[in-house]
Amino acid sequence: MTELAQAVVNGLQMGFLYALVAVGLTIIWGLMEMINFAHGEFLMLGMFGAWWLSAGFHLDPLLAIVPIALAMYLFGMLVYQQLMRRVQGGDPFTQIFATIGLLFLLQNAVVAGFTSDYRFVNDTFLQKLGGVRLTLLGVTFAVPLLLAAGLALLLFLALYLLIERTEFGLALQATSEDRDAARLVGIRPQRMFAVAWGVGAALVAIAGAILVNFFSVYPQVGLQFTVLAYAIVALGGFGSILGTLLAALLVGVIQSVTVVYLPPAFKDAFVFASYLLIGLFRPQGLFGRF
Amino acid sequence: MARLALVLGTLAAILYPIPLQIQGTTYYQTVGFLVLITAMLGVGWNVIGGWAGQFDFGPQVFFGVGAYTAALLYVKLGVEAWLGLLAGVAAAAVICAVLTYPLTRLRGHYFAISTVAIWMIAQPIGATWEYIGAAQGLFIPMKAHAGIVGSAVALQFSGPTKALGYYYSALVLFALTVALMAWVERSKLGFYFRAIRDDQEAAESIGIDSRLYKVLARSITAGVFAAGGVLYAFWALSVFPEQVLELNWSTLPIMATVVGGIGRLWGPLLGAVILIPISQIMSTTLGTGPLAGRGIDLIVYGLIIVVIAAFRPTGLLSLPWARWFGRRRPAAA
Amino acid sequence: MAPLLQVESSTKRFGGLLANREVSLAIEAGEIVGLIGPNGAGKTTLFNCITGYMHPDEGRIVFDGADVTRTRPERICRLGVARTWQVVRAFGRMTALENVVCGALQRTNRIAEARARAGALLEFTELRGRGDMPAATLTLADKKRLEIARALATRPKLLLLDEAMSGLTPIETAAAVKLVRRIHEELQVTICVVEHVMEVVMPLSHRVIVLDYGVKIADGAPQAVVRDSQVIRAYLGDRRAAR
Ligand SMILES: Nc1ncnc2c1ncn2[C@@H]1O[C@H](COP(=O)(O)OP(=O)(O)O)[C@@H](O)[C@H]1O
Ligand SMILES: [Mg+2]
Repeated sequence: MTELAQAVVNGLQMGFLYALVAVGLTIIWGLMEMINFAHGEFLMLGMFGAWWLSAGFHLDPLLAIVPIALAMYLFGMLVYQQLMRRVQGGDPFTQIFATIGLLFLLQNAVVAGFTSDYRFVNDTFLQKLGGVRLTLLGVTFAVPLLLAAGLALLLFLALYLLIERTEFGLALQATSEDRDAARLVGIRPQRMFAVAWGVGAALVAIAGAILVNFFSVYPQVGLQFTVLAYAIVALGGFGSILGTLLAALLVGVIQSVTVVYLPPAFKDAFVFASYLLIGLFRPQGLFGRF
Repeated sequence: MARLALVLGTLAAILYPIPLQIQGTTYYQTVGFLVLITAMLGVGWNVIGGWAGQFDFGPQVFFGVGAYTAALLYVKLGVEAWLGLLAGVAAAAVICAVLTYPLTRLRGHYFAISTVAIWMIAQPIGATWEYIGAAQGLFIPMKAHAGIVGSAVALQFSGPTKALGYYYSALVLFALTVALMAWVERSKLGFYFRAIRDDQEAAESIGIDSRLYKVLARSITAGVFAAGGVLYAFWALSVFPEQVLELNWSTLPIMATVVGGIGRLWGPLLGAVILIPISQIMSTTLGTGPLAGRGIDLIVYGLIIVVIAAFRPTGLLSLPWARWFGRRRPAAA
Repeated sequence: MAPLLQVESSTKRFGGLLANREVSLAIEAGEIVGLIGPNGAGKTTLFNCITGYMHPDEGRIVFDGADVTRTRPERICRLGVARTWQVVRAFGRMTALENVVCGALQRTNRIAEARARAGALLEFTELRGRGDMPAATLTLADKKRLEIARALATRPKLLLLDEAMSGLTPIETAAAVKLVRRIHEELQVTICVVEHVMEVVMPLSHRVIVLDYGVKIADGAPQAVVRDSQVIRAYLGDRRAAR
């Protein structure tokens, strides 16, 4: 029983990290309805950036968040303006292909520059707290993960407020709902899309900088997170920020509970089995409105 | 004109390995084998992706189903490869139909993710199922064969003619696939697939059962992938999950299809002829130098795809070839 | 004899909105029925319920003796109902001829036969010469004709036309009216046309049914319906509000 409770708690903590990975996709895919299969590569770039800043400049990943987020914001805008803008109007398949190309390009550019070796970021602030544990009712909380989850929650809240409460967020939503109408009220859709890509890339890169405290870094690290992120956004009902958070927590819990009973190889399988089951009964996603 | 190209192309495909074989090189036969297998898978993917317009990211599952079916039949019951291939194709088509039918309730992105979902579920099953060898997989033992004919019947070639034997086997399978898909394209199936792609509701309004035809399209794709899987398994002499359920079995054929021309019968072949040798040329030219094994070939792939997507999303075959060459050759169609 | 189509007190809700409210109507074989009503009256919703794209929350729909209340669209087509769409839905990347071939394949598996029939229907709908053009490149008027040809290719008993004339120039509208008459006379197809332009429907229809806010408010001969006070209020009121 405690084992199960422990698994649920662990899963929830992981879930916050997943939420962070997925939320950038909620903006680009869910809200702006553009596909980005290179999402995991943006994450990987964030992780590599954090590793590089740590190895080269002894900058703690938590502090590296600032320069990484800025750089990736610009990079996301660049990707939109140079590539995605061209493929936006056409067949949705073209967006898939463009971003698969981008995926190959980014992933292997990093392979070319840094090889496929696994890298670790050591002696970070969070890792030093690794020994500290909180025990509550027989359930242990690892402090680093707890702090990371708190950070994730904070970022989530900020994003939620940005999208739902600010003028900018409303303009973003208006653009996603009706581009032409948005144009009529003085919003520049191209600009909104570029900013959305920037924000999406920055968010997932921040996630990367946080993840390096817990995961090793290598050029192919993105794929496993990309597939999970897509499942999460779809489960969360496509563009709903709160839905993404809940779905991510659910995914974290499914994974860690699965591992209690089955070989670890099945942890993603059960996430996707749940996706299929939910999809069959609620094709609009778990938390979708329509 | 098209007929002439077909005849010349066929002749070239049949004849080009012969001088190489006489010289004693086998390298380009293997490249040809990989080109053909990629092209064949691309032709298969075109059915669900190019014609029916459903994004399928998980056909590699059926590549695996085919490979495992034939390998199991061969290892456990001694069934010959070509019979195993038929069984593998049938098994893949049926399993695909059963799995896909409920999924056709999902549309667009949700459907695409559900194909990924099945792949994500298939991987740990393959890695833990003892009967099919779990993570170790199955080894396909070589048996002694009487001459070329015996080898061809058993789909087992070895020694200096290994590459050549598999090249021609791949050529036969590719030709069969293209012939079959050419027929599908011109039949009721081809019309219905494209109708669903262009507008599912409108298709239903003229009596097309969209769920049934999506299942048929995906099962045809699955059948082609299964055949490819069997061929690959006998070439590699083994089947294990990390090898046959590898994502590249769908991304490479999809990329070849996109480069050549999605929805066009010959698109995947053109794409494969361009893409696959790049990998091979890179690995020879880079040799053991500092950039060897650094994914340079994949960077080039990425660039090609990005450029195609941005400037010619309908693929190279859709360029106005007839107009360019028509001026010089009025006979061109 | 039972009517070809019978809608029995069909109700369709979207959340709190009642798009159709206990609508009952019958269409006899051989009729041309006009279904009119201001925008948002629930005409398209009624078509969607009849053709299986939506199912009524209450009530029953019977076509040619078969209960089709919960039947899927493709089966309803096979029973003999064909439709067109308010916003045209041609198969854009297929040629005009191929569009119609897809419809004809409903009644034959032989491509050659389907092609021949499709060619004849392109001729009938005066689209000759457009056969090899990708449907996406046709003009709106031609796309609407193409949809009609494609629907006719399935050999329907009942043809439902959703605003087949909206967005057309007066000349194109006149041609479309003529086409509807020819379909009725030469192919003996029963027709129900949705229009909100009264002037088009009145001379064409044998009978007119009026919907307003999801409720049927009139059903009868065109001359009688135009004089109905409720109809005048619904219609003219709406028109004034719209301007
Ligand atoms: N799928 C739907 N979901 C929600 N509301 C709908 C839907 N389809 C139609 N409606 C609403 O139902 C009402 C009737 O619409 P419709 O049948 O299209 O009217 P008409 O064709 O007479 O103009 C309108 O208020 C419309 O907004
Ligand atoms: Mg309408």
